[in-house]
Amino acid sequence: MVSVILRLLSLYLPVLFPSWRFFKTVGPSPRVEYRINDSDWIECRHRPHHVGVGRMLRRMLWNPRWNEQLFLVSLSERLASDPDQAGHARQELEDRLIRLSEAPPGSIFAFRLIFLTREEHRIGMFIEYESPTITVPDNAL
Amino acid sequence: MPFETALRLTEIALTLAVLQQSIEHYATERHNRGIFLVRAGLCLWLLVGIGSPASLALLLGTSMLLLYRFQGPYNGGSDKMTLLILSSLTAARIAPGQYAELAFAYLGAQLLLSYFVSGWIKIINPAWRSGEALRDVFRFSAYPVSEGLRRWADRPRRLCAAGWAVMVLELAFPLALLHPVALLVALTCTAAFHFSNACFFGLNRFFWIWLSAYPSLLWLQSRLIG
Repeated sequence: MVSVILRLLSLYLPVLFPSWRFFKTVGPSPRVEYRINDSDWIECRHRPHHVGVGRMLRRMLWNPRWNEQLFLVSLSERLASDPDQAGHARQELEDRLIRLSEAPPGSIFAFRLIFLTREEHRIGMFIEYESPTITVPDNAL
Repeated sequence: MPFETALRLTEIALTLAVLQQSIEHYATERHNRGIFLVRAGLCLWLLVGIGSPASLALLLGTSMLLLYRFQGPYNGGSDKMTLLILSSLTAARIAPGQYAELAFAYLGAQLLLSYFVSGWIKIINPAWRSGEALRDVFRFSAYPVSEGLRRWADRPRRLCAAGWAVMVLELAFPLALLHPVALLVALTCTAAFHFSNACFFGLNRFFWIWLSAYPSLLWLQSRLIG
């Protein structure tokens, strides 16, 4: 119980005394990919080529998929940079990706995090994390 | 703006923002969806305006549960601002007299800092001053909502100008406190900034929740200077 309270405090204090350092730097940016039964790697929710004005305006009120996508980005950054949160982030990513990919029960599932970064005048990429393979459980969806 | 009016306006705007968040969450989450129904119910209670301290405290409690459930904010800065507004409003409704004003003033001060600090940490970074940072946002960050928007990275002069416009707006924002009309103009500009972020980067929750905090600054300006 004490550890829960201390953890909650450590999460709440930065909210009460925020740093507001939005976009201090534009660091390496994660992309989440998964594969099912040794398929090729598939980017999770590849963004569309074009989003029209009407769709942008609708998203002002209804944007749950994109907001979940931003949460996947946060989880990827936590998994890559914060060992204390790595366990929670890994599990949360795994659960959500299995659901989003609609991986069937019994299939073999894995995901990986690729980070894009600027190297002088070109965009480089590196694999930051690759999960162990798991068998998708019956109650995953 | 009178204190009670500003408090009530903030409550109503916050209620609508949290209601929108809760419905979105209910649509995507597969587990523990009940808490989002509870939050929607609390929002409707707060909207009615009877027993505000209790409904605010309960909303704050559910926000803490979610903070623990997701081991941090689900939606970054917008969740942080939601919790900050809830904390300030709850304290302002519970605390007596001048302490209530102090709690609400803290929200206004943090809103002001949210712009000024963001502008400061950008302008001291050479990559932001040259426009390279904003090009990187469009070129490879996870935020642009479509691949087509990434082509904007090929317009360095335009992006450099846009980056400077944002930095100047954020850094000059505290000066707007000196006059009520200047504050209204500044808040209109920052609202337009959040709107563009919502359109280009999908940050719709930031737009609604930052606007929810605006009454606190309108009140603070009239309390300190007006």
